[in-house]
Amino acid sequence: MLAMARNSTPAHQRYVVRTMAFMSGYVAINVAAIFGAFDDISSPVAAWALALAVSAPVIGQIWATLSLLRESDEFVRAVTAKQFILAAGMAMAIASVWGFGESYADAYHLPAWIIYPLFWACFGLTAPFVRNSR
Amino acid sequence: MKNRLKLLRVERDWTQGQLGEALGVSRQAVNALETEKHDPSLDLAFRIAVLFGRPVEDIFENPHA
Repeated sequence: MLAMARNSTPAHQRYVVRTMAFMSGYVAINVAAIFGAFDDISSPVAAWALALAVSAPVIGQIWATLSLLRESDEFVRAVTAKQFILAAGMAMAIASVWGFGESYADAYHLPAWIIYPLFWACFGLTAPFVRNSR
Repeated sequence: MKNRLKLLRVERDWTQGQLGEALGVSRQAVNALETEKHDPSLDLAFRIAVLFGRPVEDIFENPHA
């Protein structure tokens, strides 16, 4: 961990701090939901407010990732952008196949938010293979 | 892109981190340049040239020449 911190750039360090902050908020809201804090919500407005509150940390984490691209030097930016694009393409492809599977093949219905963890799973799988900027 | 960056850096007894700091890029970027995993932008190539006091083509091999 310390070696990683030594090797990381200031932009990476900011990214880690931002991601941990947003994910802490995400976990807190979801833990509150699991323990029934929002069980009494009945109005559609309140329900959408809750949906937006849960989504906000995810949107924040996307912002943190895009900020990492903006604040990095040209090599880190190029490699991270390639990894991001590859993972996004893979996640969209898998989501499309599954979505049409739901439409035509009675596949089990998955919630749309699954695209986000799917994207990061794809990122984790493909990133180690993208090591140059060309 | 083939280059003499590592040779020039070692001649001055600089680490990759020190060179990166002088250029305003990460150590990873310097390593990628030295191992030909990154072709520098024109702006970075000129910054490197100024730092070492040499023309760009003395440091980076022109692949089109």
